[in-house]
Amino acid sequence: MSESIAIRARDIGKGFTVGKVTTRVIEGLHVDVLAGELTLLSGPSGCGKSTLLAILSGLERPDAGSVMALGEPVWALDRRALQRFRLHHIGFVFQGFNLFPALDAVEQVELPLSYLDLGAAETRRRAEAALDEVGLAHRRHMRPAELSGGEKQRVAIARALAKRPQLLFADEPTSALDSISGQTVIDILHRAARAHGTMVLCASHDPRLIAHADRVLRMEDGRVLTDEHHPHPPIGLDVSR
Amino acid sequence: MVALARKTLVYEWRRYLPASLAVAFSGMLLLVQLALVFGIFDSAAVYINASRGQIWAGYPGTQSIDLGRSIPRDAEVHLLMNPQVAQVEPFQWVNGDWRGSRALGSVSVFVSGIDPAATGLVFARAIPPALRARLNEPGAIIVDRADLPKLGIAVGQSGILNGQRVYLVGTTGGLRALGGVNIVTSLATAERLNAGGDLRPAYYVARLRDPARAEAVAAQLDPHGRLRRYAVWTAPTLAARTVHYWLFETGAGLGVVFMSLVVFLVGTVITSQTLMGAVAGSISEYATLNALGASHRALSRVVMEQAGWVGVAGLAGGGILSALVLALAHSQDVPVGITLPGIAACATLVMGITMLSGMLAVRTLRNADPARLLR
Ligand SMILES: Nc1ncnc2c1ncn2[C@@H]1O[C@H](COP(=O)(O)OP(=O)(O)OP(=O)(O)O)[C@@H](O)[C@H]1O
Ligand SMILES: [Mg+2]
Repeated sequence: MSESIAIRARDIGKGFTVGKVTTRVIEGLHVDVLAGELTLLSGPSGCGKSTLLAILSGLERPDAGSVMALGEPVWALDRRALQRFRLHHIGFVFQGFNLFPALDAVEQVELPLSYLDLGAAETRRRAEAALDEVGLAHRRHMRPAELSGGEKQRVAIARALAKRPQLLFADEPTSALDSISGQTVIDILHRAARAHGTMVLCASHDPRLIAHADRVLRMEDGRVLTDEHHPHPPIGLDVSR
Repeated sequence: MVALARKTLVYEWRRYLPASLAVAFSGMLLLVQLALVFGIFDSAAVYINASRGQIWAGYPGTQSIDLGRSIPRDAEVHLLMNPQVAQVEPFQWVNGDWRGSRALGSVSVFVSGIDPAATGLVFARAIPPALRARLNEPGAIIVDRADLPKLGIAVGQSGILNGQRVYLVGTTGGLRALGGVNIVTSLATAERLNAGGDLRPAYYVARLRDPARAEAVAAQLDPHGRLRRYAVWTAPTLAARTVHYWLFETGAGLGVVFMSLVVFLVGTVITSQTLMGAVAGSISEYATLNALGASHRALSRVVMEQAGWVGVAGLAGGGILSALVLALAHSQDVPVGITLPGIAACATLVMGITMLSGMLAVRTLRNADPARLLR
């Protein structure tokens, strides 16, 4: 397993101003996130998990500090370069599945791939492979309306994985799901980290996930309080049931 | 490439239907009002368009055919002296006062006195020779069948025109005038109806040996000079003067422009609102695509493509609607005039509505901020 640092964040600071009141959400935060691991960002609601995810993934500019992702200074890139960086290296899984109602599962996965100009055949091949990886090959021609919540989230994960990102960010990926679906989802994320050496950073306050993470970062008041490594977290093997 | 725009349109057609309908109705309104206005203008120039002959001589400065005044009889001789002219025919114009049945009171009418000969030029396109020959009977008149209710008589019955008894010998189509009823009589009958008035005709119409040379011959025949007592135009020129007159002097042209603007505005508001609603409804999907690396430009293309398809569907629907409405109008003898440039102008405006709406909807995409997906 690779021990290389995928993301190195230093002195991150972020505040939000609402009206005349500025709230510091993240203050002087340092963190290194490793490739090939599932890192869980846990902590009470409102402690800044999602905000940190947005800063590390190039979606929200921090007020202070620097983020090096895969050796690139993320917040020194211009808008277009940042977008290209996201296109080539970053995958996202959100709490809401955000699938297009009109597209079937394969098309959902193909859509972001199509911006990589891989050609129709390769795009289709990768999309099918990604659906297979999340155990949904048999659902590939179904639209979101015909899929369960857990299946929808797995399609969303396949969509994020299909472009083979080195960095995968997931914000509360299981909180809309029942515990078995949630278990399946976290296993898929975990195996993606192992199989492809992907850095998976997952924000969640779901305590059930803690046991499944390689590493748990506990946040409170905009800082990382504890940093625990779990040497051999269990991985469920059968997701395709 | 996943056809996101088209698949979404097909799958969520209900959501886009109002936009397509707005576009269809806008197109229909634009085309129908244009067709009606053209139809009205055509009927203002019906005396010219329904006649053969390429040259018209009339009172200098006449702005519209219905504003003609008597011109000297030597104009006829002058026209005939040109070797290009094969035939000259007077056209008498008399304002009339009609009394048919008592219930309808009096109706003001335009009396056209024409040569009833089979070779006659005026109204040759509207009145078949057999019917035309019946104008030889003293007091015989012909009207457009759509004007019968206004006159209150049927074929074979009689009425009082300028105090004289006249008989309706037949009806035809394509004679409707603007703002009154056209009554066609022979020159002799017209003269009788104009007793006490100027007996000289308002126009002379000439047929040329070579119709293609009308422009040049008209220029030759026009007496020029400030003191000329009549002027010479080609038939299309006089028709265009008439249309121009109605378009600008009556305010109808401004009305068309104004109505088109209103239709454009209303169409754009409804279409853009619908498209914006559709974009707003999928905003987190768009934001997710953006997070995964799709550029705003790529997303804008999806929205513009949707607008384009909405426009195409609307154009097709508008075409069908217009055809139905215009067919109905035609069957009711409502004058409609459709020209290819008119259709092209309407189609352009309609696509303008959808493209502008698309651009407005693209602005909604600005809300597709992927950072908002992380909360
Ligand atoms: N765009 C914003 N404008 C103003 N305040 C914001 C904004 N985004 C986040 N915040 C505030 O920052 C704080 C941290 O928010 P964040 O979403 O990172 O919390 P979280 O740890 O993800 O919480 P949860 O577990 O409930 O998702 C909250 O107090 C929130 O109100
Ligand atoms: Mg959150």
